Amino acid sequence: MATDTLKSNAGASGATSGLRRVLLDNGALSALIVLVIAMSALSGDFLTTDNLLNVGVQAAVTAVLAFGVTFVIVSAGIDLSVGSVAALSATVLAWAATSEGIPVATAVVLAVVTGIACGLVNGFLISYGKLPPFIATLAMLSVGRGLSLVISQGSPIAFPDSVSHLGDTLGGWLPVPVLVMVAMGLVTAFILARTYLGRAMYAIGGNEEAARLSGLRVKRQKLAIYALSGLFAAAAGIVLASRLSSAQPQAAQGYELDAIAAVVIGGASLAGGTGKASGTLIGALILAVLRNGLNLLSVSAFWQQVVIGVVIALAVLLDSARRKSGASVTSAGAAGGGDRRRQVLTYGLAAVVAVAVVGATSLLHGGSSAATTQKVGLSLSTLNNPFFVQIRAGAQAEAEKLGVDLTVTDAQNDASQQANQLQNFTSSGLGAIIVNPVDSDATGPAARAVNKSGIPLVAVDRSVNNADTATLVASDNTAGGRQAAKALAEKLGGNGTIVVLQGQAGTSASRERGAGFAEGLKAYPGIKVVAKQPADWDRTKGLDVMTNLLQANPGISGVFAENDEMALGAIKALGAKAGRSVQVIGFDGTPDGLKAVADGSLYASVAQQPKELGRIAVENALRVAEGKGVEKAVMVPVKVVTKENVAAFGG
Amino acid sequence: MSNQDELLRIEGIRKSFPGVVALDGVDFELRRGEVHVLLGENGAGKSTLIKMLSGAYRPDAGRVLVDGEETRIHGAQDSERLGIATIYQEFNLVPDLTVAENIFLGRQPRRYGMIDRKRMEAEAAGLLERVGVNVSPRARVRELGIARLQMVEIAKALSLNARVLIMDEPTAVLTSEEVEKLFVIVRKLREDGVGIVFITHHLDEIAALGDRVTVIRDGKSVGRVPANTPEDELVRLMVGRSIEQQYPREAVEAGGALLKVEGLTRDGVFHDVSFEVRAGEVVGIAGLVGAGRTEVARAVFGADPYDRGSVSVAGAGVRGNDVGAAMAAGIGLVPEDRKGQGLVLDASVKENLGLVTLRAATKGGLVDLKGQRAAAAKVAEQLGVRMTGLGQQVRTLSGGNQQKVVIGKWLLADTRVLILDEPTRGIDVGAKVEIYQLINELTAAGAAVLMISSDLPEVLGMSDRVLVMAQGRIAGELTAAEATQDSVMALAVSTNIGTNASTNNGTTAVEGSRGH
Repeated sequence: MATDTLKSNAGASGATSGLRRVLLDNGALSALIVLVIAMSALSGDFLTTDNLLNVGVQAAVTAVLAFGVTFVIVSAGIDLSVGSVAALSATVLAWAATSEGIPVATAVVLAVVTGIACGLVNGFLISYGKLPPFIATLAMLSVGRGLSLVISQGSPIAFPDSVSHLGDTLGGWLPVPVLVMVAMGLVTAFILARTYLGRAMYAIGGNEEAARLSGLRVKRQKLAIYALSGLFAAAAGIVLASRLSSAQPQAAQGYELDAIAAVVIGGASLAGGTGKASGTLIGALILAVLRNGLNLLSVSAFWQQVVIGVVIALAVLLDSARRKSGASVTSAGAAGGGDRRRQVLTYGLAAVVAVAVVGATSLLHGGSSAATTQKVGLSLSTLNNPFFVQIRAGAQAEAEKLGVDLTVTDAQNDASQQANQLQNFTSSGLGAIIVNPVDSDATGPAARAVNKSGIPLVAVDRSVNNADTATLVASDNTAGGRQAAKALAEKLGGNGTIVVLQGQAGTSASRERGAGFAEGLKAYPGIKVVAKQPADWDRTKGLDVMTNLLQANPGISGVFAENDEMALGAIKALGAKAGRSVQVIGFDGTPDGLKAVADGSLYASVAQQPKELGRIAVENALRVAEGKGVEKAVMVPVKVVTKENVAAFGG
Repeated sequence: MSNQDELLRIEGIRKSFPGVVALDGVDFELRRGEVHVLLGENGAGKSTLIKMLSGAYRPDAGRVLVDGEETRIHGAQDSERLGIATIYQEFNLVPDLTVAENIFLGRQPRRYGMIDRKRMEAEAAGLLERVGVNVSPRARVRELGIARLQMVEIAKALSLNARVLIMDEPTAVLTSEEVEKLFVIVRKLREDGVGIVFITHHLDEIAALGDRVTVIRDGKSVGRVPANTPEDELVRLMVGRSIEQQYPREAVEAGGALLKVEGLTRDGVFHDVSFEVRAGEVVGIAGLVGAGRTEVARAVFGADPYDRGSVSVAGAGVRGNDVGAAMAAGIGLVPEDRKGQGLVLDASVKENLGLVTLRAATKGGLVDLKGQRAAAAKVAEQLGVRMTGLGQQVRTLSGGNQQKVVIGKWLLADTRVLILDEPTRGIDVGAKVEIYQLINELTAAGAAVLMISSDLPEVLGMSDRVLVMAQGRIAGELTAAEATQDSVMALAVSTNIGTNASTNNGTTAVEGSRGH
């Protein structure tokens, strides 16, 4: 009677295989356990209730995004747009409530609707437009990010207080983001296991054609799947923004990759058909544990990246080892040829449309500036920071005053992008180019190319190494660092332990401010720096890194943050301690920073005058364009702003 | 014991996977210039055995001897070096490369570091001629029919100077014409001294081609017999019991017309197709591969659009190109590509059985999982699906049991008109009979069955009426009494039916009519 040769040999293997089986059955879980054990052994601060809750909070946004992406990946799709959609939803909420005065409840609904709408557009493009999910959601990634910049005009918007409570704690210890994460996880598990939509996801992901021939309305289900992903992204965006009390248009950049990584680490296959909510949660926790633990251990920024990459690879390797031992690999039959041809067509069409749009915009641009006025280009390292937005504002005001045609570009902290922008500037017949280098060294080659073209170059805020600049307009970062050290040490009475939040590793501003600060501290042997960690100029990271550092060093009395954004993040982490038992000092003197100085949570900010930087840069650029002489370096003074003199700094 | 003619000897091979013992003591030997048939039901271990020889798996125990010397085959390179070539059911060809490039994939003749196309194409042409197939070495593999793909695979094997050629069910996808051509080639290779391991489920092919037969059952070799052993005896060895009747059709009194198709046309694919299937009736559709049978079936089911014509069930019209409408009318389709279109391979038996009824079992967005499970358990029991449990992955079931799951999901949906496209392709004798019994039960309960099959004896044995398609048209209809191999084939290869002689289906017409 027997046809099959399936014989269970579980009995033979015996009990020793029991534990091995459980761990092999869930590779991600064993990876998480190993990681937690390792971190606990290495750092005494890791395995505390508070710190574990911190890990939960830091995992929350990624996890909620990843839950949404789980639906998409189970159905054999991909969603790259979740980070952008999260930022867009949060921006819509903040804009509606703060700028437009719409009731907060309505604003929240509006934000959620925005997320769902983005998902529906994705789903529509994929189901009915037959775009590959990768392309459709990549497009949405860009559109969503762009719209949030348009709505917010590039600057963070304050988040309504009532919603910001989502970032607080319940009863003083239970963080709401963790609750949101758990709740969303349960919803995800429920949808996947119990609902028609969930079962349809597995069927579609496992074999779309078989699902269709079994009567599933695949196209309609896909619409719902991507809409769900958009909904979860909106939720994640709201949680993220409420933690910072501010909706940042550039928030959650690159988080889509973290989310996808979490899903795959959790055991889902990018080929579709498998995946679980619990796995995704474990995947997000692995990423958060890693970052938290590496902060606690004060691992250098460079090595953190290496370690994170290695652990991601290992976690997935562990999981595929489980798969291999589970079932033999069978190669699927060749897919239909029609699809590929259609894809090629789609790509072709996309390329043509892109070229057409680019061509059209450059034509429009060229038409508007055909006058005889002097033209100047300004390449900023980033606009993801109020400081640089202020530089732009000062530059634009001066340009208007002088009748100069000013073009501003944003390199998004990407040196190669800045190189491209400088290259474009040289080929568009400018009288002068102002560059705010992403990195003093990395911008050198592109700047030398500008030198060759004969167009004079003005550097602002940061110098350019190995290239000729007509003038450098900058604040004295080293002097600022020294002043910060002096101000902080004197406030602490010459005694205390402090931590330093560093800017993006490798940037000149971070190096100079850090060096100046260290130099200034030499005069105060009673001050001890117990930790130095990078937080990449970013407020969210400032918050996370500070939270982690507080775990390791609960007794600190001072914080030096190399910019105001990180200082504001640190203040969030310190809570009521900020300005009382812990003194925080920032750098830049941005409007938000000065506001914090005014209300006392930030002790001082070493104020640069970004508007002045922009103004003087344009002024000098015009002079060199017209062949007039300029000084080799213009140092715009920096000033320590405390509560006493903050009124004088209106920005 | 070493024999001059012995190419390959396998002794006591054992291989187990987690939870499964696939092979448990298999002996096998192959001589120069012999066609040695490997016979066994699906899941008996044939595929595992040949994967040992091609280096995909390593044995846990036992010996493999090539030319009397013990060897280990650790990968494709090893088997290539030993002169062992394998042609799998799923071809290993790259669709967008040319025939010549596929034949020499990874071993393209080179000159100055560049691929020497001229030499490659000339050598490919020589090999193709030896195989006796008329294909340009420059043709893209994507454009070839399935029979020619197989010839390309054989040419590829020859280019490796293979002394041992393993063919895994090479005839499963071929029409009888093409099978004859394949046999001619295989016989020629045998004369050249190549040892051929031939796997087939068609017992008639054994006597026609084979020299010896090794029967594998439940991972053990249970017998080595000459190829002229009576079929009954072979079946008994293979199944472990005797099978009374290969085609146990029990015709019932046919009722009124249930499925009615009128003037169905998709330009360039099928034309003016009209037929009806009555309640309790099995209508077979025979024809060559590419005659448009599958296309008609998919159009009737709403999976693909059609340009003109109508489909109705029990007098009510069914909207075209709408699977949902067809299902609502009671039509079900068991597609020809079981793995590619019928099953979600990584999902469980339970999930697959519940796929069609998923929507019906949903209330307020929630699926009645308990009810789904109970229904799946009942139908699995009724069909006799052999599995470790309802949670077993469908991928790990044998072909016959997989097909039962595909049919089972339609049984659960109370299907009145079931379209079966190649229902027994690649399924062993025992499971075939079970599926035939199932068809009997369906028609006895008043359902109408439309069965497409390239297995002519099956069409003749199981149908109450036979429709023959050729070049996208119904070439004729035969009653069960009239239908014979010859009468069906005569219609299937008939050209210029009707008035529209300009309709030309290209390759299939050429492949089909050759030699008849």
